[in-house]
Amino acid sequence: MSGPLLSVESISLAFGGLKAVNAFSLSLGRRQLWGLIGPNGAGKTTAFNLLTGVYRPDSGTVSLEGRRLNGLPPHEITAAGLARTFQNIRLFPDLSVLDNVRVACHLDARHGLLAALLRTPRHLAEEKAMEERSRALLSLFGLEERADDDARNLPYGDQRRLEMARALATAPKVLLLDEPAAGMNPREKDELTDLIRGLPARFDIAVLLIEHDMGVVMDLVEGITVLDHGETIAVGAPAAIRRDPKVIEAYLGTGAVDEAVDEAVDEAVEGRA
Amino acid sequence: MTKLLQTAMDAVAVGSLYALIALGYTMVYGVLKFINFAHSDIFVLGAWSSFAMAAALGWTKAGATPPLLGGFAILLASMAFCAAAGIAIERFAYRPLRGAPRLNVLITAIGVSLLLQNVGQLPFVFGTQPQRMPQLLPDRVLASVAGVDLRLVDLIGAGTAVALMLGLEALVFRTKLGRAMRAVSWDVKTAALMGIPVDRVVAFTFGLGSALAAAAGLLYAMKYPGLNQPAHATWVLLGLKAFVAAVVGGIGNIRGAMLGGLLIGAVELFGAAYFSPHLRDLYVFTLLILVLLYRPAGLLGRAAVEKV
Amino acid sequence: MEARPGPSAAVTALRGVLPFLVGAFASLLLHFVVAPASGPFATKLVMDAGINVILAVSLNLVNGFTGQFSIGHAGFMAVGGYTAGLVTYYGSMLLWGSPAAHGGFLGGGELLFLAACLAGAAVAALAGLLVGLPSLRLRGDYLAIVTLGFGEILRVLLQRTGDVLPTAAEVRRTPLPELATHVGGALGFTGIPFYTSPFWVGIFVTVMLVVAYRLKSGSHGRSFLAIREDEVAAEAMGIPTTRVKVTAFVLSALFAGLAGGLFAHLVGTTLNPRELGFQKSFDVVIMVVLGGMGSISGAAIAAVILTLLPELLRSFSEYRMILYAALLVVVMIVRPQGLLGLGEIWDVWRPRRKGTGR
Ligand SMILES: Nc1ncnc2c1ncn2[C@@H]1O[C@H](COP(=O)(O)OP(=O)(O)OP(=O)(O)O)[C@@H](O)[C@H]1O
Ligand SMILES: [Mg+2]
Repeated sequence: MSGPLLSVESISLAFGGLKAVNAFSLSLGRRQLWGLIGPNGAGKTTAFNLLTGVYRPDSGTVSLEGRRLNGLPPHEITAAGLARTFQNIRLFPDLSVLDNVRVACHLDARHGLLAALLRTPRHLAEEKAMEERSRALLSLFGLEERADDDARNLPYGDQRRLEMARALATAPKVLLLDEPAAGMNPREKDELTDLIRGLPARFDIAVLLIEHDMGVVMDLVEGITVLDHGETIAVGAPAAIRRDPKVIEAYLGTGAVDEAVDEAVDEAVEGRA
Repeated sequence: MTKLLQTAMDAVAVGSLYALIALGYTMVYGVLKFINFAHSDIFVLGAWSSFAMAAALGWTKAGATPPLLGGFAILLASMAFCAAAGIAIERFAYRPLRGAPRLNVLITAIGVSLLLQNVGQLPFVFGTQPQRMPQLLPDRVLASVAGVDLRLVDLIGAGTAVALMLGLEALVFRTKLGRAMRAVSWDVKTAALMGIPVDRVVAFTFGLGSALAAAAGLLYAMKYPGLNQPAHATWVLLGLKAFVAAVVGGIGNIRGAMLGGLLIGAVELFGAAYFSPHLRDLYVFTLLILVLLYRPAGLLGRAAVEKV
Repeated sequence: MEARPGPSAAVTALRGVLPFLVGAFASLLLHFVVAPASGPFATKLVMDAGINVILAVSLNLVNGFTGQFSIGHAGFMAVGGYTAGLVTYYGSMLLWGSPAAHGGFLGGGELLFLAACLAGAAVAALAGLLVGLPSLRLRGDYLAIVTLGFGEILRVLLQRTGDVLPTAAEVRRTPLPELATHVGGALGFTGIPFYTSPFWVGIFVTVMLVVAYRLKSGSHGRSFLAIREDEVAAEAMGIPTTRVKVTAFVLSALFAGLAGGLFAHLVGTTLNPRELGFQKSFDVVIMVVLGGMGSISGAAIAAVILTLLPELLRSFSEYRMILYAALLVVVMIVRPQGLLGLGEIWDVWRPRRKGTGR
């Protein structure tokens, strides 16, 4: 395949008068790790929602391996190979950790309802394969010990990891991670960084990463797109982005102090959730 | 021609009552995002509590004529009573579930609805005997056009309904309290952070909605005076049609509820007059299905975007 | 991976049908040993309980597993019951000249009855599709309204049907489609032969329980549960939520139709529109909510208890609904997931729930 894996051309979305995302473009190659940063409310999560079909773009196109995705319902986009995690964790709280991942494996299942009700050999074989694959994913994220716990009972960092494991279980081609390190302590962040670094090669996927922690992003990605007020203000390699005056202004302009306060509030809110 | 005019008048009369009930559904849905199933029982309670008061005053005896403003006094009293009932229900059944999954709140609402229904049927409450509502409002034929009588009671009924709606509209869009209600309906958490006393606003919303439903109950009984607890389901069905009116107009939208009420009244009564009087419910629910299929947000509603 | 020939495939196949065989055996035992020994009153109660178990467990597929809210279950039961009743009553008239029960155990009459129940289930499933499609695209509470409306409209329509045709001659004279309008109106569909027996109830309860359990422990059921837990996340995991919801709803309607077929042919009950109204739907809802939203054994146990309870509390009958309604509100506030929640009764003795899987 010659063209890019994921190609986003100038997608926009407005909520009433607010242009949450304006003319956002992106091109991701195979096994590429890319960062998406910007101050709070810049439109990063909205961009993810546009890519995954939660919202429909007002204009622009999203295509994966040349297949147009925008306009499809979210489940078809996931089936096509775009999987995501949620910034405000959305696990299936009353299901076990294992089941959270197994649910996402359902795309593997080819047997029909009747086969499941009769427990045909094919059903059993597919179920077994799903369980094995799920357990393998859990152990990759260090969650195998907790497979039988309810997801709601996991500590916060584990919940974030479970979200990643679950998204990977859909066997995506592109993985979208929305602030996977939020609320983690420095040691957890380091482990997570190493894990994410290994994902493209291990699963043959591209990763698009939203992250506020600059240490984490700069360390991981080949390139970064910076959003501010829905606009793309810079695209480039991490080193160049770090020096880009527009980026510095976007971040410092909002006030370094404000940023710290926001962060603290975020943390408090997330800690409670 | 006579039939057309008569049907049109009935449609406006009944439709404006649907609208009154629909407002309660829509306001509660607006602030708390759930269907208050017990709302139709409040409507029934409005009719029965008015009847009980009239009975206590001796106005239900044959030949008794209530004083001119007696009917309005009862109207106000039963509105106040039902408002109190609505506030109590919110306080004890719904508030403990604030923030719980929607399904739980919905189930609770159904529980409350059944509780009201069955308590009402107890012998020492309203009993199971059918009753006839006395004419509490003055009535005479005001004018006769093409063989159709314009009756005072219909005029008072529709007039009261319209006055109440206009009052509500002014309250919600012109007053500080109304602004607080709209803020809560926009986003409960943010409203709370902004210092809006959410609990009080919600209680007020319930009280207001219940009072309107009570008024509709009394006015409906003026037009169709048979009160019948065991056939309570038919009355509850009336309330549900009012809910359909709210959905058709756009749930959460006050003007939508009014529009929906009139529309439902028209569909029902014209259908009954020109098709078959037995399939009234069918017309209304068919309209609901059509709206859900083609315009799920309702006629005046905006499609809600869930923030992800 | 296709099934390999050899002993292991045979063993798997056997395992697949084993629960059904056990259920069939238990049903035979119930029919020929337990029921005759315990008398007609107890037998009727057992059959009532069995029908309620099917109703509660099937409603749980929607209200418990999938997190949607249907309050028109009795409507689907009515669709199934009337369809099945039509088949056996008029079928018997045409075949044997009289609506009386025909043939013995597994005789011609019972086979007609079996076909009737399956037809009832199929028509109920179709009704489920029609009701589910427009409403399940939207959020859960619309389903409540639409199902409620469906039940009420059905009641109105059934009340307006014509008298049951009493003689075979009349039945022969009437064109077949027109027979469907002769189901007795408000008085009810009388004269349906009494085919429902402990055996058939046992068989259908078995099928219901096995289907529900296997569903819950397989990937299809997990999709149901995921939707109940978080619809947005389920969709993001590639689950076609609308289609899955409709599947659950249709399956649930199918079994309600089956229960309706059993109900229609039960001694001492008349199929009438009032009997299968909102009240009945609500009885089933409370079984599900009390037993646990998503718990198969919970719903089944609640169904049995709530069938027997009114018998014990006969003198309190006017307070029954008040008690149920109050119970519902209190349970929602105190234990919102129902008694067993998503778990099963046997999980209670385990230190930790072992997934929902096997
Ligand atoms: N459903 C919605 N309706 C209205 N406005 C929305 C909605 N979703 C997002 N917005 C607005 O769009 C803007 C972009 O939000 P978005 O969540 O995409 O920001 P973000 O870059 O992810 O910020 P953060 O770093 O805080 O997560 C914000 O102003 C937000 O309030
Ligand atoms: Mg975000």
